[in-house]
Amino acid sequence: MRLLPSLVLLLVLCGALTGCTASTDSADTIRIRWPSDPETLDPLLVSSPQALEVINLLHCSLLTSNPEQLQIVPWLVESLPKISRHDSLTRLTYQLRAEATWDNGQPVLARDVAFTLRVMHCPGLPTEFARAQYGFVQEIELDSADSRRFTLICSSASPDIVLASGDYSILPEYSLDPLGTLRAVPLALLRTDTAEAVRRHPALRAFAARYRQAQLSRHPDRLPGCGPYRLKSWESNRYMVLERKAGWWANRLPKPPPWLQARPEKLAYQIIPDNTTALLALRRGSLDLYPMPTARDFTAMRASADTARLAFYTADSYDMLVVGFNTQRPMLRTAATRRALSLLFNIPDLMQATHQGLAYRSVSLINPHDRLAYQDSLPNLIFSPVEARRQLQLAGWQLRPAGGWWNGKIGPLALRISYHAGATEHETVALQFQAAAARIGVEVQLRPAEAGLLQQQLATGDTDMFIRKTSGNPFAYNFMPLLHTRGIGLINYSRFSQPAADELIEAITAEPSPERHARLLKRFQVLLRRESPLVVLYFTRNRLITTRRVTSVRTLSVRPGYDVLSLQLASAKP
Amino acid sequence: MTSTGLRTKRNWSWHLSLGWLLLLAAAALLADLFSLPTGPDLLRSNAAPLTPGHLLGTDSQGQDVLRGMLYGARTALLVSIPTTLLASALGTALGVAAGYWGNTRLRIPKHWLGSVAVALIFYIFFAAPANSVLAGWWPWCTAGGGLLLSVALSRFSQWRTTVALPVDSLVSAAIVFLAALPRLLLVVLVATAVTPSVTTLVLLLTLTFWVPTARLIRAEVRRIRWLPYLEAAVALGLPAHQILLRHVLPNCWHVVRTAVPLSLAILISLETTLSFLGVGLPPELPSWGRLLAAGRIAPSCWWLIVFPTIALLLTALSLRRLVAAPEPHSRVLQAP
Amino acid sequence: MAGRFFSQLGQTLLISWGIITLLFLLTRTLPNEQDLLARFASSSVPLAASAQQLQVAQAQARHRLGLDIPLFYLTQADVSEAPLAPRWRWTGTQNQYHRWLSKLLQGDTGQSYRTGEPVGELLRGSLYHTVSLTLLSAALLAGLSLPLGIWLAVSGRRLALATLFALDTLPLFVVALLLLLFLASPDMLALFPAYGLGTDAVSFRSAPINYLSYLVLPVASLVLTGITAPAVQLAGALQVEIKKEYVLAARAKGLSAAEALRRHALRNALLPSITLLTDLLPNLLAGSLVVELIFALPGFGRLLAEAAAARDFPVLLAGVGLVVVVRQISLWLAEALYLLADPRLRNRPA
Repeated sequence: MRLLPSLVLLLVLCGALTGCTASTDSADTIRIRWPSDPETLDPLLVSSPQALEVINLLHCSLLTSNPEQLQIVPWLVESLPKISRHDSLTRLTYQLRAEATWDNGQPVLARDVAFTLRVMHCPGLPTEFARAQYGFVQEIELDSADSRRFTLICSSASPDIVLASGDYSILPEYSLDPLGTLRAVPLALLRTDTAEAVRRHPALRAFAARYRQAQLSRHPDRLPGCGPYRLKSWESNRYMVLERKAGWWANRLPKPPPWLQARPEKLAYQIIPDNTTALLALRRGSLDLYPMPTARDFTAMRASADTARLAFYTADSYDMLVVGFNTQRPMLRTAATRRALSLLFNIPDLMQATHQGLAYRSVSLINPHDRLAYQDSLPNLIFSPVEARRQLQLAGWQLRPAGGWWNGKIGPLALRISYHAGATEHETVALQFQAAAARIGVEVQLRPAEAGLLQQQLATGDTDMFIRKTSGNPFAYNFMPLLHTRGIGLINYSRFSQPAADELIEAITAEPSPERHARLLKRFQVLLRRESPLVVLYFTRNRLITTRRVTSVRTLSVRPGYDVLSLQLASAKP
Repeated sequence: MTSTGLRTKRNWSWHLSLGWLLLLAAAALLADLFSLPTGPDLLRSNAAPLTPGHLLGTDSQGQDVLRGMLYGARTALLVSIPTTLLASALGTALGVAAGYWGNTRLRIPKHWLGSVAVALIFYIFFAAPANSVLAGWWPWCTAGGGLLLSVALSRFSQWRTTVALPVDSLVSAAIVFLAALPRLLLVVLVATAVTPSVTTLVLLLTLTFWVPTARLIRAEVRRIRWLPYLEAAVALGLPAHQILLRHVLPNCWHVVRTAVPLSLAILISLETTLSFLGVGLPPELPSWGRLLAAGRIAPSCWWLIVFPTIALLLTALSLRRLVAAPEPHSRVLQAP
Repeated sequence: MAGRFFSQLGQTLLISWGIITLLFLLTRTLPNEQDLLARFASSSVPLAASAQQLQVAQAQARHRLGLDIPLFYLTQADVSEAPLAPRWRWTGTQNQYHRWLSKLLQGDTGQSYRTGEPVGELLRGSLYHTVSLTLLSAALLAGLSLPLGIWLAVSGRRLALATLFALDTLPLFVVALLLLLFLASPDMLALFPAYGLGTDAVSFRSAPINYLSYLVLPVASLVLTGITAPAVQLAGALQVEIKKEYVLAARAKGLSAAEALRRHALRNALLPSITLLTDLLPNLLAGSLVVELIFALPGFGRLLAEAAAARDFPVLLAGVGLVVVVRQISLWLAEALYLLADPRLRNRPA
């Protein structure tokens, strides 16, 4: 065991050497923690939130959202589109900014937009979901007089399509298709009859082969975007470094709005899966920004002495925890039963236990910050097993002496509740519900399941209740997938189906006038409370810890929770 | 002098080990008698030990740690220890078979092998007509057919000859298969096939956990297979089961003995992983592993790690002391 | 000898192929229908697509990935009234397995479903870092467990044994976190980097010490948790040998206890330990997931776990196939080492 001392010596030596050679290239870099790799950086394939974050730095789309005022604002274009409606078609006319250029100085033109739409629909490319998402754009008309002006003809009258028509990254035609081989392909043909399009335009096949060959998912450098940053290095599952372009086009704007200013010189995203490790790295100063720590870590750190070096921020988010009932189960078919069961959630205590108060309540799927649409006349749900028992009786259930609640031949009332295995927050809710239900004689079985299995259970309706995190959207209210009859088998996991609700959902999606829209939404919230297919437990707050090195931090209510463009380092000159 | 000293020392630690396991059993039996807080105490999650109402604190879901420890003892006794023993038994059996018979020495009559193969193939490829009387009895029908075939074949002399069953290769293949399968995959596969319960958990753990024991035993049996006394036993014509039980097993017992207590800890953490993935113990059933897993999420809560670890360690050591009481040291080496 | 070698090789290949085929079929029974859809459901973009469009998109994606053709040569047949109806239906060579295998035989392992990257490159990238971690830990474990085992057998220290048991009882994540909190925390000793492998500039060639410093804590946690089993096993086997007469004779010859063990008893006691030691490499290769997660290392364990979670079949199968091959090699290695340790085995039929 003389080994031990020599081993310790070696360790110390090693450590000392590390201390000396520790990299010092972080002077102008902001280091941000990521829990996982973005996996793919092809702008047409993005799926992970990390990838979305980076794509918005590498590329620009026509429109973006002003995350502070929660409005849609023009990005690559001069202003919001001019809208005109003809029958069921909507024409959106855009004018691209004159200053907008690619990295090589060429202007961003309408034909780049047309090219992007064609790439989406090009057969043989893995862009099926972009195809479905932007399938409502039927045709693009280029203005022959102004090469920066174009009109999108969309097959929907919903006001939500304005943002949807402009939120995809615009791809550079000069880099992917320098000869313009796709220009001759009509978008309408490509959308409707792919086989015919390929037969008439063999160039499509060659283009698809080239596109796949380039492996843009892993080599975003082969796809130069017109965003403020370029990718400097990317080591899978380790880090990703972005560098600000010296001559980004928006720098030439006389008075650029915040979303057209990029402050940080260099951004280094560090991929650290483990929370403890990430916190340690933050405290040691090898990280500058730690978005979304767990609520527990956040409150513990805020209470500790590190506040001299660290700064803490929160912002109300649109993420909510939702409990759903499978409304097609015989036991849960009546709304009264569902309403009774929703009284068994001790929401204030759950908020305290899972988020240490970093959460806020809402009566429905609408965020209370949306003053116009929020139905504030509805009362918050109370926690009351006694009342739940009374309402169960009103719903026709009877507690038999032998045990269990019976409603005619249906019974005894026993429920299985599904949630993502390993999600402690969901498990806490399930355990609390189980304990409360046990008090009134309802047996509840917990069913944690692995993500893929859970997805299958939910989609096929093989569950009684479920707990899920849902992300709301501040820009549009589209309840079609979530609660419409046509969403069953897709995302309508509560399998809620009611003609009145369907009509209301369709009306909400189609209503252009904001006041009437808000009125419809208020009616919808009343209906939701009455039918209770879903119970919103609470909305959560975004959390962010930064070192004091980083100044001018702006927190956002939408992902990723902070405005990366506005970050500045204390040492750097403004 | 030395020997008496050794004996008292052994007795002392032996009693302590027995005491701990008895305590464990008592805790498991009497857990229901303590009026411990059930259900999560939401307002006091992650409470430190000695919080009023929670002697050993709570985990991040507000569950009482003391309750977790007591009921965890029950889980350990009913799930983990039996599984360890079962898996060790299975591993020993397969390891002994592979090591003793190798690829050539287990010979099976051809008629037997042939009829099993035919029956299996028949069963796999053909279904009984649906809605007929046969449908429910189909497996039995094919098995019966196989038996008849075997009897019929045994009348021909060329079918009575024997062929070697490659036991060793079969066991090795199973080992490679189980060891190569990522755990997450296995778990998800099982979860799609059956609904999770304690029985499936015990079966799953046993079926995956015999591998290390089997490999160890196989190596040891291969060594002692050719030692003179075994050769003599074979030459005497003793039946195989007698050789295995009387001569092989006792001589490789020490390998099992050292491996058993070591695997208990691994097993308990494995059971936690499985519970974490949704096929293990039901979430409301406390276990030491679950406490440890809660400690993984909140490493600053030392009480979630320290208490279950101590319990685990004591159990493993006690088991080792009782199942695997080490021999007194050879006097050759004790001499100065 | 050559004949035996080739028959062994053939057998190994056959077993590997069987296992991989079985895995192929097993993985495809997993629910993945909803997976492509889940991707969309989780995105925060307001959904403009209708349910029908989504289903069409999903069908297209399945077609592109080749998931819309039958899985195997045989497919379950419909229930039939006919007596002795076949359970299976022949589906021809247009099936997923045939496609996958014929591509594999041409050396094409396919592309990842998630990123479209060739699987070979993905594996190479993750192995590049895992191999150094694995080899270092395996070498240290083998190098330390032998002397430790002998020392334990000779001295019979109960305390040391208990300590080893305690180390073994501690879950890997606890050891890793403790190391982090003691040796990489600003509150205690910040000797080592807390995560990752440093920046671009740090590689084994350019800055070996710097690179190694990133590996110290991960390797230490693997060694600390892994040392007990081989050391204790060896000590146990040695203590059995100690009672044999040949050791007594060696002692009578004047050798010290440790020397008698090393020179004479070790070979006899080594067989079970060889099993444990040759198992180290494949175990460490596939099983360092926890360490990779805690220390944020890009490794093979993480690749496999992510592939399994996302049902990325090409990556999953190639990775598992690699583990199968390494397992087979380790079995071979164990056989060879048995022969080396115990020459008596050489003259016997296998």
